[in-house]
Amino acid sequence: MPEIRVTPLGAGQDVGRSCILVSIAGKNVMLDCGMHMGFNDDRRFPDFSYITQNGRLTDFLDCVIISHFHLDHCGALPYFSEMVGYDGPIYMTHPTQAICPILLEDYRKIAVDKKGEANFFTSQMIKDCMKKVVAVHLHQTVQVDDELEIKAYYAGHVLGAAMFQIKVGSESVVYTGDYNMTPDRHLGAAWIDKCRPNLLITESTYATTIRDSKRCRERDFLKKVHETVERGGKVLIPVFALGRAQELCILLETFWERMNLKVPIYFSTGLTEKANHYYKLFIPWTNQKIRKTFVQRNMFEFKHIKAFDRAFADNPGPMVVFATPGMLHAGQSLQIFRKWAGNEKNMGTVGHKILSGQRKLEMEGRQVLEVKMQVEYMSFSAHADAKGIMQLVGQAEPESVLLVHGEAKKMEFLKQKIEQELRVNCYMPANGETVTLPTSPSIPVGISLGLLKREMAQGLLPEAKKPRLLHGTLIMKDSNFRLVSSEQALKELGLAEHQLRFTCRVHLHDTRKEQETALRVYSHLKSVLKDHCVQHLPDGSVTVESVLLQAAAPSEDPGTKVLLVSWTYQDEELGSFLTSLLKKGLPQAPS
Amino acid sequence: MDPECAQLLPALCAVLVDPRQPVADDTCLEKLLDWFKTVTEGESSVVLLQEHPCLVELLSHVLKVQDLSSGVLSFSLRLAGTFAAQENCFQYLQVRSTPSSPCRETPACLWPRRPVSSWCTSWLCPCEVEPRGSPACRGVTGPRVPRRSWITLKSPCAPRPPPSSPVFSSSDGSLWETVARALSCLGPTHMGPLALGILKLEHCPQALRTQAFQVLLQPLACVLKATVQAPGPPGLLDGTADDATTVDTLLASKSSCAGLLCRTLAHLEELQPLPQRPSPWPQASLLGATVTVLRLCDGSAAPASSVGGHLCGTLAGCVRVQRAALDFLGTLSQGTGPQELVTQALAVLLECLESPGSSPTVLKKAFQATLRWLLSSPKTPGCSDLGPLIPQFLRELFPVLQKRLCHPCWEVRDSALEFLTQLSRHWGGQADFRCALLASEVPQLALQLLQDPESYVRASAVTAMGQLSSQGLHAPTSPEHAEARQSLFLELLHILSVDSEGFPRRAVMQVFTEWLRDGHADAAQDTEQFVATVLQAASRDLDWEVRAQGLELALVFLGQTLGPPRTHCPYAVALPEVAPAQPLTEALRALCHVGLFDFAFCALFDCDRPVAQKSCDLLLFLRDKIASYSSLREARGSPNTASAEATLPRWRAGEQAQPPGDQEPEAVLAMLRSLDLEGLRSTLAESSDHVEKSPQSLLQDMLATGGFLQGDEADCY
Repeated sequence: MPEIRVTPLGAGQDVGRSCILVSIAGKNVMLDCGMHMGFNDDRRFPDFSYITQNGRLTDFLDCVIISHFHLDHCGALPYFSEMVGYDGPIYMTHPTQAICPILLEDYRKIAVDKKGEANFFTSQMIKDCMKKVVAVHLHQTVQVDDELEIKAYYAGHVLGAAMFQIKVGSESVVYTGDYNMTPDRHLGAAWIDKCRPNLLITESTYATTIRDSKRCRERDFLKKVHETVERGGKVLIPVFALGRAQELCILLETFWERMNLKVPIYFSTGLTEKANHYYKLFIPWTNQKIRKTFVQRNMFEFKHIKAFDRAFADNPGPMVVFATPGMLHAGQSLQIFRKWAGNEKNMGTVGHKILSGQRKLEMEGRQVLEVKMQVEYMSFSAHADAKGIMQLVGQAEPESVLLVHGEAKKMEFLKQKIEQELRVNCYMPANGETVTLPTSPSIPVGISLGLLKREMAQGLLPEAKKPRLLHGTLIMKDSNFRLVSSEQALKELGLAEHQLRFTCRVHLHDTRKEQETALRVYSHLKSVLKDHCVQHLPDGSVTVESVLLQAAAPSEDPGTKVLLVSWTYQDEELGSFLTSLLKKGLPQAPS
Repeated sequence: MDPECAQLLPALCAVLVDPRQPVADDTCLEKLLDWFKTVTEGESSVVLLQEHPCLVELLSHVLKVQDLSSGVLSFSLRLAGTFAAQENCFQYLQVRSTPSSPCRETPACLWPRRPVSSWCTSWLCPCEVEPRGSPACRGVTGPRVPRRSWITLKSPCAPRPPPSSPVFSSSDGSLWETVARALSCLGPTHMGPLALGILKLEHCPQALRTQAFQVLLQPLACVLKATVQAPGPPGLLDGTADDATTVDTLLASKSSCAGLLCRTLAHLEELQPLPQRPSPWPQASLLGATVTVLRLCDGSAAPASSVGGHLCGTLAGCVRVQRAALDFLGTLSQGTGPQELVTQALAVLLECLESPGSSPTVLKKAFQATLRWLLSSPKTPGCSDLGPLIPQFLRELFPVLQKRLCHPCWEVRDSALEFLTQLSRHWGGQADFRCALLASEVPQLALQLLQDPESYVRASAVTAMGQLSSQGLHAPTSPEHAEARQSLFLELLHILSVDSEGFPRRAVMQVFTEWLRDGHADAAQDTEQFVATVLQAASRDLDWEVRAQGLELALVFLGQTLGPPRTHCPYAVALPEVAPAQPLTEALRALCHVGLFDFAFCALFDCDRPVAQKSCDLLLFLRDKIASYSSLREARGSPNTASAEATLPRWRAGEQAQPPGDQEPEAVLAMLRSLDLEGLRSTLAESSDHVEKSPQSLLQDMLATGGFLQGDEADCY
């Protein structure tokens, strides 16, 4: 039985560490190879032993596909390819290929050097891993091998993010990665054609959320930043270098311009400038507005936003600083936070400890930092909400849906919604759990022109969308399937025609001679079957279409006559009708 | 358990059993379990439970609470398993009628749920190591999931049986018969791994080994047979009948053929270096077959039969097979073989490197394999020169390398540069190599790649040029190239100062360190000037790895000025102190002059921990060195440290104190003595997130989650 099997090694009922194994028509594909930010040991990587127990990785997997550059989707890639030993092709889009190694390198530096972790991938490994990457364009069908093909679709979310269609023969799976169904300030909305895959694997981060208007959130953000700098406070915005940072930069830049503000805005150095460089480089991946205005003014060349130097943090007076990393766990954002946290005039958007309400933090060397600054949490994340997910499912029209990258409870809600509203089966496997979907592969069958012409000759014009019954003979020859007329089939296969007849005996009480009985049968049938051709043949037998009736007298009982009825299988219906009719006996003859 | 955590524990347990309270994510629960595991390793579980009744409360409560999240349920059961791993604790829990009989207590309907079955694993694991019949093992054999996996592990058909598994070393004849039968009736996908497993075993009947090796060789034998013109060299499996299944698989489809060949080549590659590999090892035939596979892939093979023709069509341009064959070809270089085999291998590698159709991944593998063959090629004994084959090969190789250095894909340019670096590292001293290299345009092209748009390539070019220059190979020796020979240092220095990416700058620092260590002409001419210039450039760098490498260079300079670091090996004979190159005051003045102190003190307060750590080590080394010159310490009672102390806050703020070389050596020394370097070192030894990683912090986080966690908490991605 052909089937599609899906096993999440990560992102099964959780957010983070996306890694999904898909088997489709004998091909094995790994979708994303992310890492879990929460762990410092091997648990940060997906459990690859699930694959390695099947033998060598490179033999088992036909390819790896990376949906976008976020570390929870690609962070385990160098580990997987250079330390676990995968040597096959890795597919991603051009922007992802360009930006992915930067983030991996940054992550390596934090993990290995700041935290002093051993057994971690090196710069050389990141490079060697990137050498295995094959970059793809949007909507380009890429042949992985003779049977397996993949195709990327625009996903919004971050620069270069893509959804992937994986296809073998007539079977296909679509994996969304992370996507956004509403355009934002710098990216467009996800889009896919009506590809009707057997399965759609979709993220479900915001499975239960219907997002409020983005404009409100933006207004709120600008208001708070403005108030703080007006008071003379400093604003720290911890961000991840790529993605939302650019969104907020465009927002602040426009606001500063409109309000004619002079307060300096800084970007933490290094990574983010590079990020802007890539946004400029891959301008076709941004949204329509940015592309249109690109000729007059590049939206990523900011007038008000300058590179940050660490000495600036001590400058008096208000300022706004975008600093990495976004979780405030190390690096520049943490350093600035330490400097500014003691002043209630300042404002920051910070890591989970401060968010969860802790106002006294123990820092290195047992010193306690009292947080007096204002803390605001604002979400600008670019995932599709419940409505968006439903919209995408509607767009692609899959046979089934499988949810990943979300929390179990929220998935449960969305699963019910999808099953009820869209009448589509929906699955939500946990990590390590396999979902098996039987597929019915469509097999192409050729039809002979002769047969079609004959059908047409019967006068019925074919009607679109209306199924029509057609008789023919299916022949399998040279691993091809063809539907032909039976005559042609006989001819092609060199066979002679045989006729199949059914016979039946009906006993009648009649003392007359056989000829007379036959005549009575003839007149009875003639009167009943007015539309049929009933004939009395010279040899005494009676025919109705292809049905033949003969009367005979058994020697032992002269009062009974045996009626032999025989018919071809084509007249099966008529034959059955006649026998049941005759079994009821003949009408009394006028004596 | 430390008192702070003990204090937080009851509140946390209360949060966990309350289904209305939102619990932090699974990651926190995992980490909490990790912490309990460490705690129970250090102290008795029973004592722990006695001292913290809230834990027993938690364990007995979770099974009764309705609507408890599966995460918490799973956590609690695994926690129970962790405690019950100590037998007395198991009994303690049994008495308190808590999860001692979890199969009874846990509702049967929960079994298929993942968290519950995951508990079994943690429950069973400690029990498996207990002696059989121990009470801890009773009553826990019910769970289905782990039991099944236990059986799988012991199954003789497991793809990779351990080499000295007790299952396999048994003398039970029927077992070997079963294995032999399995080997003959398994499909081609499973046959290979089983055959490899058999060949890795130590004790195994010879007949079975022979059978297994035949299975492994079969596909390559087919390839050889299909392409060899009769009468040709001996095949791989002459005399044995063709295996129809192998031929069928080879011809069935492109993907099954590629799959079979890749697996075969990989298995043989794994087998080749093992001591228990079959003997005699058919080195020549394997090499022949691998070369043939590569020729089939690049379309240069001449098929001798219809099977061969079919194979040609199937394998043409098959990158997967090419890569696997190149890997195996590289491994085959480790075996000894006649000269013509080497010629054959080098010829096919050259073809591969030359072929315009070769993909970047194939070219990388071809470079790697070529390097292996070149470095393992037999050298004429007693002669420093390369064997007779190599000079000719190099003359053909360098034009190909030239072409590859100009390849449009950065991957290829980079692999070519890496190859060049490796080759000159090993062969830089060989006359033949020098001759062929300098006659080519390779050094000039490598020099041009210092300006490559791709930073990875620039970094590799830096390394390659550094290596070539160390051996006087970066430009021809003729007078017209004199300028080129001199300008490399300036060019690298320019990269260090202005390149926007970290990789090339890091590579430059590595090259400079090597140069200083090896006494490269540019470094040795005016060492102080060299070190001063490089340190000044490195100290401004935003990439902390460049700064750390700067300290490495400073350490080399220190060693050269003050003598090498003392060895701490307790068994080493205490050697008399090596006399330093110059008197101490002069040496210190030199260190001041090159700005080493400025750089090191600044680095000591670097916000990036490894830099501070490295600087701390360097200053400790320096202090120890100076301590041996007791005369100097005593000579001046209290030197004027005011100037150095005044600059300390500025160093802390991450600024350069003053123009380098302005400090007084005595002042610097005094400050060196006044700093608590040991204390600093132990503070720096802890990771930057050690506070965040502490159990206390984890418990606080989990408690604090109660009030938070609504809405879009997954925003960080």
